Amino acid sequence: MSELSDVAPAEQAADMVVPSEKPKETPPEVPRPRVRRLNIIGRRNIFFLISLLIIIPGILSMAFKGFLLGIDFAGGTEFTINFTNQPSVASVESAVAADPLTAGGTVIQAGAGSYIIRSLPLTPQQQQIVEDHLTGRLGPMAGGAPQQVIEVGGTIARETIEFALLALVLASAAILFLLAIRFRNVPGGWRAGFQFGGSALAALLHDVFLLTGLFSIMGKVFGWRIGEIDSLFVTAVLTVVGFSVHDTIVVFDRIRENLRVSQRLSFEQVVNLSIMQTAARSIITSFTVVLVLTAILIAGGTTLKGFALALLIGIVSGTYSSIFNASPLLVVWRRVQPLR
Amino acid sequence: MQLVLSWPVRLLIIGILVFSLFVDGAGYIYRVANHYPLTGNVPGLPPNFGSWQLYIHRGLDLAGGTHIDYQLTNFPAGQSRADVQQRTIQVINKRVNSLGVSEPQIRGAGNNNDRITVDLAGVTAQQAQKTIGAISKLVYTKWVADSKVTNGPQPGYKPAFTGLTGDDIQSAGAAIDQSGVSWVVNISFTSHGGTVFDDLTRANVAACPGTGTDCPLRHLTIWLDLTQKDIDNWEDPAYVSKIYAPYDTGCLAAQTANTLCGKFLTDPTTLQEISGGQAQISGNFTQASATDLSTGINNGSLPVDLQVLDVTQVGSTLGAESVKLSLAAGLLGLSIVVLFMIIYYRVPGLLASIALLFYAGAVLAIFKVVPVTLTLAGITGFILSVGMAVDANVLIFERFKEEVRAGRTIPAAVDAAVRRAWPAIRDSNTSTLITCVILGFVGPPAVQGFAITLGIGVVASLISAIIVTHNLLAIVMTGSALRRPGLMGVDRSVGAV
Repeated sequence: MSELSDVAPAEQAADMVVPSEKPKETPPEVPRPRVRRLNIIGRRNIFFLISLLIIIPGILSMAFKGFLLGIDFAGGTEFTINFTNQPSVASVESAVAADPLTAGGTVIQAGAGSYIIRSLPLTPQQQQIVEDHLTGRLGPMAGGAPQQVIEVGGTIARETIEFALLALVLASAAILFLLAIRFRNVPGGWRAGFQFGGSALAALLHDVFLLTGLFSIMGKVFGWRIGEIDSLFVTAVLTVVGFSVHDTIVVFDRIRENLRVSQRLSFEQVVNLSIMQTAARSIITSFTVVLVLTAILIAGGTTLKGFALALLIGIVSGTYSSIFNASPLLVVWRRVQPLR
Repeated sequence: MQLVLSWPVRLLIIGILVFSLFVDGAGYIYRVANHYPLTGNVPGLPPNFGSWQLYIHRGLDLAGGTHIDYQLTNFPAGQSRADVQQRTIQVINKRVNSLGVSEPQIRGAGNNNDRITVDLAGVTAQQAQKTIGAISKLVYTKWVADSKVTNGPQPGYKPAFTGLTGDDIQSAGAAIDQSGVSWVVNISFTSHGGTVFDDLTRANVAACPGTGTDCPLRHLTIWLDLTQKDIDNWEDPAYVSKIYAPYDTGCLAAQTANTLCGKFLTDPTTLQEISGGQAQISGNFTQASATDLSTGINNGSLPVDLQVLDVTQVGSTLGAESVKLSLAAGLLGLSIVVLFMIIYYRVPGLLASIALLFYAGAVLAIFKVVPVTLTLAGITGFILSVGMAVDANVLIFERFKEEVRAGRTIPAAVDAAVRRAWPAIRDSNTSTLITCVILGFVGPPAVQGFAITLGIGVVASLISAIIVTHNLLAIVMTGSALRRPGLMGVDRSVGAV
């Protein structure tokens, strides 16, 4: 309460909502002209359904099809080639990208004219085709052949993913308890705190499953290269986790504040009002991030497009889940486990 | 909250600003004046304090580093080669982590599981080889009679493997011995190793009995990397003199099939039977060499021998053009965000953009000073924290509009907006910080860089949004010309008042 001490209670109420004269059974009518009358809580089942329609196929795809692994996880063929004409990095990169066999591969400069090129695993015949293609575009190799062609394994993908999962579980538990502590001062005490924490956690898991599921579908069902999983994707998932919780807490904070100042509204009405009051901010913030990511997705380099797409999907999902899933879930939870 | 607007706080902000400008800017003046490239390390680059140079440290994916190909030889019999290769990768990974390299990439290669390639950022080839290949295998030998050996350290004797190796050691630690002068390495054996060691020392004493007597049969010799081939060549005095020299980790790490390096560690006389699985290695250790050796032993020994096939200095793994394009796209996106903030929020948006510049400058200075090695994941963390800084501003401004519409005067609305937006900003950033700490400790290396930059960014964004923006707003509010609602991005006619 301390941060509100300078505002008189009457003034606070004036900022909020003029109490409705209507009986409580009617959908929450918010008489202030500024707040648009969208009934998100009342239509919550539609929003839950939309989420499930995307998430369930994703989970099925993950369970039965798995993921398409990128080069840094799955390994592949590594060429070390010394070009006599000493082509620039850019021209080698575009030559590698132009060949369907090596598209998505990486180019590392190892000296003037000398490059390490990694692609997905290739048969000896395919290797020959790639070599011919490269000499056709970039000129002859020193000595007429690559210095070395070897099969490389993936980096320790298993450990990376295991560590990331462990971190995710620990972070989820920490977020649950942090929210329980921060929100225990709403009416209902600790149990209410855990309802807030649990709902935020559910929204977080929603975003994680939606993102990983969509990538599984894109990579394995449609076979698109952009759906490859690599260490950058792991980073993207964790970024989305941070963003999603951030978004949800802003809405929940408003609910906490409104619960304090407007005792006469039902819980549903308070939640709906809070969503309306914070929606502009959520959408504007996400919009600014989406602007940056879209720029990278359209104009950025090929190696970063999958990464930008993962972030884009995750940020949109995070905003959606904080508005349409987290708070409605809180309302459902209150109905199942009433606190007053 | 009154503290926020006090002069000491403003002075602190100005101090941070001046410091950031100095750290960020001084180097560029020097670079331009001396025609050096604008990025990376440059000799004599200011500001430097002794050997501490300030520049942006870039990770392997952005700047490249050292690429080493290893050939694995001497596979232990009866084990799957793939398993042995995996174990070797784990040991290398452990050793590389002791270097503090960001995001090392170690992968198995070769059709026969007989190759390993290693990519390391910001480490010289020499340093990398020393760490990866150092102290491959600690080996205990005893002396056995061989009349064909006429020269060497023990004429008439050659070493023989005892079966005791570094694999039988549980842990090792550097310590000062009882005399308090020289450094030793204390080792404790595994239960199997302890038994073998007990048997060996008992046999030593039995072979050459009597207190204080000394003969070759009473010695247990410790070597690094001694091979059967070395023992087979014991009759060649030239060969032995190379091998029986103080161990040289640099040479051992870079050895190829034909180089000969010193492998000798120590050749103590066994005074009495040693049971209990504790032993001490003494020699001419310094603190550094004793610590090196014990770290090497603790990190485990390699199940195979490593031979360097090829060492190259490599460029970035992400693709130079790709990173350039994406940086340009990211900058374009950020400019659009600034433009949007100014159009949508007018004067507050402009102030927030100034605060963002302050924020970016301060964070870059911190990255240089710490120093934080920047990888793509790290830059993502930084950009995410910029997003959160923008978000904190948006929260305050949206609140500000509400307060003005509710009929407050503009200065009062600024105060109320900051005060009421604070709990949301605090809680959301706390949760992000906690996540960062967890990721920093248990995350895989690729994620740790992300956690560090995001964590630094979140703290700086809190300061930027709450203190800097608020102060700028408060200063501007004193000029009455700017107090018009239109400039504040608020259309009062729509208000509920």
